[in-house]
Amino acid sequence: MEIRIKGLTRNYYSEGKQIKALDGVDLTIPANKIFTLLGPSGCGKTTLLRCIVGLETPDAGEIYIGDDLVWSSEKGIFVPPENRGLGMVFQTYAIWPHMNVFDNVAYPLQTSKTPKDKIRQQVAKALKFVQLDGFENRPATKLSGGQQQRVALARALVAEPKVILFDEPLSNLDAKLREETRKELRSFLTELQITAIYVTHDRIEALALSDLIAVMRAGKIIEIGDPKKIYFNSDDKFVADFIGRANLIKGKVEKLEGEHAVFASEIGSIVALNSQGIPVGKKAMLCVRPEFIRLAQQQTADGQNIFSGKMESLIFIGEAYEGEIRIGDTLLTTTIEPTENIVEGDNISISFDPDHCFLLSA
Amino acid sequence: MFKKPTLTTTLIVIVGFLTLCPVIMLLLGSFSKDFVSFGQFTTIKYVEAYTDPDFAAILWNTVIFTVGSALVATLLALFLAYVNTRTDLPFKFIFKVIAIVPMMIPHILFSVSWVLLLNPSNGTLNRLIMDLFGLKEALFNIYTLPGMILVEGLLDLPIAYLIIAPAMSAFDVSLEESSKVCGASNLRTLMRVTLPVLRPAILASAILVIVRSLASFAVPSVIGMPGRIYVLSTHIYRNIASGFAADFGKAAAIGMSALAASITLIYIYRYLTSESGKFVTISSRGFKPTLIKLKNAKYPLFVIVGILSFILILLPVLVLFYTSMLPYSMVPSAKAFSMMSWDNWIEVLKDPISLLSLKNSLFLGVVGATIGTTLSIFVSYVIVKIRSTASGLLESLSFLSFSFPGIVIGVGFMWFFVRTPIYGTITALMIGYIATYLPYGIRPISSAFVQIHSHLEESSRVCGAGPFYTMRRIVIPLLIPGIVSGWILMASMFLRELTLSVVLSRPGTEVLAVQILHFAEDGLWGQLSALGIIMIFISSALVILAAVLGNKLTKMEVVNK
Repeated sequence: MEIRIKGLTRNYYSEGKQIKALDGVDLTIPANKIFTLLGPSGCGKTTLLRCIVGLETPDAGEIYIGDDLVWSSEKGIFVPPENRGLGMVFQTYAIWPHMNVFDNVAYPLQTSKTPKDKIRQQVAKALKFVQLDGFENRPATKLSGGQQQRVALARALVAEPKVILFDEPLSNLDAKLREETRKELRSFLTELQITAIYVTHDRIEALALSDLIAVMRAGKIIEIGDPKKIYFNSDDKFVADFIGRANLIKGKVEKLEGEHAVFASEIGSIVALNSQGIPVGKKAMLCVRPEFIRLAQQQTADGQNIFSGKMESLIFIGEAYEGEIRIGDTLLTTTIEPTENIVEGDNISISFDPDHCFLLSA
Repeated sequence: MFKKPTLTTTLIVIVGFLTLCPVIMLLLGSFSKDFVSFGQFTTIKYVEAYTDPDFAAILWNTVIFTVGSALVATLLALFLAYVNTRTDLPFKFIFKVIAIVPMMIPHILFSVSWVLLLNPSNGTLNRLIMDLFGLKEALFNIYTLPGMILVEGLLDLPIAYLIIAPAMSAFDVSLEESSKVCGASNLRTLMRVTLPVLRPAILASAILVIVRSLASFAVPSVIGMPGRIYVLSTHIYRNIASGFAADFGKAAAIGMSALAASITLIYIYRYLTSESGKFVTISSRGFKPTLIKLKNAKYPLFVIVGILSFILILLPVLVLFYTSMLPYSMVPSAKAFSMMSWDNWIEVLKDPISLLSLKNSLFLGVVGATIGTTLSIFVSYVIVKIRSTASGLLESLSFLSFSFPGIVIGVGFMWFFVRTPIYGTITALMIGYIATYLPYGIRPISSAFVQIHSHLEESSRVCGAGPFYTMRRIVIPLLIPGIVSGWILMASMFLRELTLSVVLSRPGTEVLAVQILHFAEDGLWGQLSALGIIMIFISSALVILAAVLGNKLTKMEVVNK
């Protein structure tokens, strides 16, 4: 089911100051996709989610779920959360401690007065789906974090909603379990063919799970795109920096060459992707990610995008080296193959592929 | 759910009236000439109260009594807490019993049982010792300051223990371990590391005991007054209870200084407990401290702890029951056992005033606690769920009465009630009780509210449940344990209430504790003991009933489906 949001605004007042949690958000979330709202804490992503569910009331704007208008400040429409027919997994899971697993999962069906055998069937199906069959009579307080998370998912799914919402559901799990659960969640959601809205501040989670990512900052949506587009070729400096580690190099566009442009930077001229079409003479910013900085052989250092510098620091972290390379006044971070034979203080040459560095308007 | 601002305002008005009314009336009263009509503004009552030649002695007695009790209670609590958390003493469940059970025995009965044991003329224990060693005179006299201090110290021991034991077990053991690595012995580590780090908790416990003993009336009236040892609370009582010459103005003037002292001490207590949070390092590593092996000291120590718990719990009940069966006091012997009968019990159950006091106390316990708990639910809701300046004000207001000594509040309420038609009715007592003991209801209920994360309610809404369905199936079931413990606390406090009641109770509104005090004043120990046992029985039954009921209600939700 598609969700359309128009001009959504929500202000908070804290100590006499107005904080814009949502600043005129326009957004269409396509049906049957995993859609992620990503951003730093306080960017308004959770507020947006809570407005869609109906746990918070915006100050202005409209929200459509499918064809139903569930919120409109102008028309004075507010459909309470219990009538929006959504499923949601909370950050704390919100498993009711005084009920067992069965009652927790059956709750959404009990509220709609479903016949008892139907409830039993549906609950069994939902628990089977999250691989918790046989846990019906377990008290909710006797579940591990991962199990609670799955009970919460089963509860959100049991009434077969058209849209399911997640508010940072993995943030309370430890690192290893988080990785496993992320994979599981991805396969559950792909199997279900359901519209999922997922809120997170974890960029890896967003990249791994999503069909589409919307990056938010200060109550606004800055950029929407699929994970690869956001990572490799973002249109925005903030997004490029937020989604992964990035080296940002200042300079000016010198010449256009089809999709690419020649960029005059602090460290020399660089050929880079210019998908935004920044015109010649304009100041811009070059973004290159650490893993795309390659070591080049000193002897053959004469091709495109090759620079020489000095290895300023080098830390071995197991799967790779993390290094800092100084070229003039510029310090670039890079990851280097763990088998490379270099030490701190070496003079080295590096190169970057023109297709894997891109220009951003400054 | 509610129209929030109106609810908050209504509660502020109700709670504000309950806590501030007696204080304001006390202040007005202390500057008034007459009781029923305020009369002219005058400072004569202050002059009278504080130039009284006895006053210095009373003040001195009060200081010795409160500080002494604090020392006894805190030292005993430290000993028990240390032995419990740090040594391999057997049968540790006994510590839980020591911490909780004495709260069920009303203070006045505990004091009476010590009088029965150690009074100089016919105290059972005194007589036993005299017979045993052929002494001419009694060895102990309970009607002294040390006697009062001993009994008050034992009564306040559970409070001191409940403050010190958690601090002791939250203590980061690595601090001690590093001291031992540096070569210090167990004792040296205790003196140089453990005790200094626990200092805020120890001080907090001592101060709270001082506040409690300053407000205490049971021990000073049952043990102090027969020995003509007066402290502030009994001095106030003497001024209002002396029949024709009751002087409520002077009582109010004296009460003002007790109130000021108490508020200052509570302020210091608050400061210390907020400090101790910074001081005591709570280690989250979940390491259990290595227990000190007691070896040879194990059994002597166990005997000490055993005797202590016997004195605190069994002895009072045994003495009372023994006394209730005898026509007059005598040393346990074949003759004594042959003379045992139910006469005192029958006497009490025939006595119209005892029956009336039983009825009144039951009514106050059940109805009063129910009203008090209901008020506490609303107040807790506002304090926890509506965070605003107004709810902050409500919170401070509702915990204010913690620092008011009961007898002083009683005098303040008297100044108010005498101007209203409810003077001398059971409603007056109920209002006074709820005002004084509101924090006992709010504390458990608000901590139950805190535990209900807003997500638990919100997820119910998203699951399709309306606000009322959510209330019924999520919020109320989760609150029930808190509500039940709030109700139990209030009901057992109301059943035994003495300090406020001695002021507010009039003919027709006698309550159990006041009736017991009258029996003690008349020396009717047998009837007193019978009524006392009935009182302990009712309050224990109430506690058990409420606990069982609460358990059922919480489970119902699960079994139901």
